Amino acid sequence: MNALDITAIHKSYANHTALNDVSVHMPEGSIFGLLGPNGAGKTSLIRIINQITAPDSGEVKFFGKPLAPEHVHQIGYLPEERGLYKKMKIGEQAVYLARLKGMSKDEARRELKAWFERFEIGDWWNKKVEELSKGMAQKVQFISTVLHKPKLLILDEPFSGFDPINAALIRSEILRLREEGASIILSTHNMASVEEICDHIALINKSRVVLEGSVNEVRQRFDNHEYRIRFSGNLIAFTNALGANFILNDQQQVEGINECTLQLKPGLRLNDLLKSVVDHVDIHEVVPKIPSMNEIFIRAVKTENAQA
Amino acid sequence: MSKISLVIGREYSSRVKKRSFIIMTLVGPILFAALMAVAIFVTQADQTDHKVLVVDTTGVITHYNESVGAYVPNCIDCFPERSDYVWRFSNAQLSDSSFINGDYTVMIELYDDLYVHKQANLYYKTVPSVSATSYMEGRIEQAVERARVMNEATLDYETYKRLKVDLNLNKINIEKGETYEQERAAIGLGFAVVIFFFIFLFGAYVMRGVMEEKSNRIVEVIVSSVKPFQLMMGKIIGIGLVALTQILIWVVFSFFIFTIAGVLFEAGSLNSMMETAELANQQGANADFESYLAQQEGVKLLLEINWPLMLTMFVVYFVGGYLIYAGLFAAIGSAVDDENDLQQFMTPVMLPLMFSYFVSIMSVNNPEGFAAQLFSYIPFTSPTVMMVRVAIGGVSVWELLASIAILGVTCFGLIWFAGKIYRTGILMYGKRPTYKELWKWLKYKS
Repeated sequence: MNALDITAIHKSYANHTALNDVSVHMPEGSIFGLLGPNGAGKTSLIRIINQITAPDSGEVKFFGKPLAPEHVHQIGYLPEERGLYKKMKIGEQAVYLARLKGMSKDEARRELKAWFERFEIGDWWNKKVEELSKGMAQKVQFISTVLHKPKLLILDEPFSGFDPINAALIRSEILRLREEGASIILSTHNMASVEEICDHIALINKSRVVLEGSVNEVRQRFDNHEYRIRFSGNLIAFTNALGANFILNDQQQVEGINECTLQLKPGLRLNDLLKSVVDHVDIHEVVPKIPSMNEIFIRAVKTENAQA
Repeated sequence: MSKISLVIGREYSSRVKKRSFIIMTLVGPILFAALMAVAIFVTQADQTDHKVLVVDTTGVITHYNESVGAYVPNCIDCFPERSDYVWRFSNAQLSDSSFINGDYTVMIELYDDLYVHKQANLYYKTVPSVSATSYMEGRIEQAVERARVMNEATLDYETYKRLKVDLNLNKINIEKGETYEQERAAIGLGFAVVIFFFIFLFGAYVMRGVMEEKSNRIVEVIVSSVKPFQLMMGKIIGIGLVALTQILIWVVFSFFIFTIAGVLFEAGSLNSMMETAELANQQGANADFESYLAQQEGVKLLLEINWPLMLTMFVVYFVGGYLIYAGLFAAIGSAVDDENDLQQFMTPVMLPLMFSYFVSIMSVNNPEGFAAQLFSYIPFTSPTVMMVRVAIGGVSVWELLASIAILGVTCFGLIWFAGKIYRTGILMYGKRPTYKELWKWLKYKS
């Protein structure tokens, strides 16, 4: 079953269209990267899933059922711009937020104590937010987001504002939550983290979904069959051996070893390349050049914008 | 527990636990009582000793006494020697500089206009208090009266005093047989002022609270759990309950303070009453009886107000008025990110609120007039104006119900309207809101 099935969503405000025929399908138990440039419509989509706003048309299904008010208890949301009540004590505040998500007072206290222990912030309970640093407050916010064990977690730029150690802590917590069965939407501009932890992605640009699928599938799709090949031997003999079937995209020499980037013409395989050159030069290494998410992001957005 | 009650609980307990609330609640009535005491003290008590020079150029009330070698009043009793009033008489004005440099505090000049226009001049260096002025006025008045009675009538002054009529019109409503309407209207005004003050103060708290949540960005987390409307209502109701709590504590406190003050005052006033009685004996006036009567009138006046109705209406109109204005303040708070944008939206809310205050003051003078009647139905002014009318009594049940119904309907309408603006406003950043923009927000689908 899919955690979310979003079908043909439209949302427009007075002056602009925020979402135009957006459909997204998010498999249960996956970490789903929601990508896109600023102002593409990601926040609008997230707000619709959170039922903060309603779409003008289209349908959202939450684990197979039409999205309904009672589902807010099964969703945890960490917005990009986040904050807490400055004058309220941390513990009191976290209990309040948990109770708004339907937890009882005692249950919230018990769970919070456990989380505070794990994050080694047990002594913060009676502190006020204004006494904490930004990173410290972010930890409390993360705990508040996941405390009620939501089936769906929506994390908007969860790593921003954390130092590398705490970012790693949050990353491992996200992975642990997936192990425990949560489905997680990760909205971020940090493509490295997408490659690292996302299973699926959807790329939104100018109110439309321009790319959707599993990370591997998407990377395959953007694979233009490039290989980086390192060899020693005569470069001219090498290029002659290539013939017209391979395109030489890049070439350089590092410490007497040639490094070339080659693109295969359609219908050809790596074996064909190797056969052509293996008798002429001494091959050290062949590495497939699969595009990074960063390249895919830039290429997809540029192509889209060029078409528009 | 439903979510709105969670929000109410947070708004209420976070405010009631604040040190500033506790201090204000405890100190408020004491401060208020002290302020009243100071006000009474300033207007009534005059510690200045006066040395008065009466310059009688007309010769009506003074003559030259050879044996004393100075001008003396014809009526010695009119100017009793007191430690705080020393009287001297003359037939010629002092020069400005010798008055300024001399030890007279005031100089009263009687001139030809005395009989015709009943005018005299009082020159001072520092302005004498109202009570001092009226005392001196009374003394001169009596002296002049004596002179005129003696010169122009065949009566002796005591007979004149007895015959003189000082009429007091007791206003009695023929339909209700009630008296002291104006005095009771003033008490109603007191309630109106409390309503105005609390709406103003706690409405502003609502606005600050909304702005805080918006600029904190916590609002996005909260509205992913509760509907924006629930959040807004929870805030309005929670803060409203804080206001009611404060009022209740103040009422209880004031009751104690006034009881204690009353006991102390009574002990004090017994002394002063004996003093006045002595003084009155000297002057042959019934000052003690008059002040006794005045006290009786105060009691009667308080008894004539329908207190259960008054207190019920106070709560009803406070709640209604508060909801209307708090809704508007919440809408404003949600629409702006920036203090600088506040002003343009504050004015249209502050104007009717200030207006309701002034109308209720004016309606004290004419509580049954057309304006008072009209504005006791208009929901933006009815919470204050109707309090004045209820205090007088004679507002029919139907009038009350109609006024409350209009208030109630307006409340619902305005809260609905505020909710629409709030819902969009709290998530809107970096856009300078205009009225046109707000109008668009009203039309957005949820």
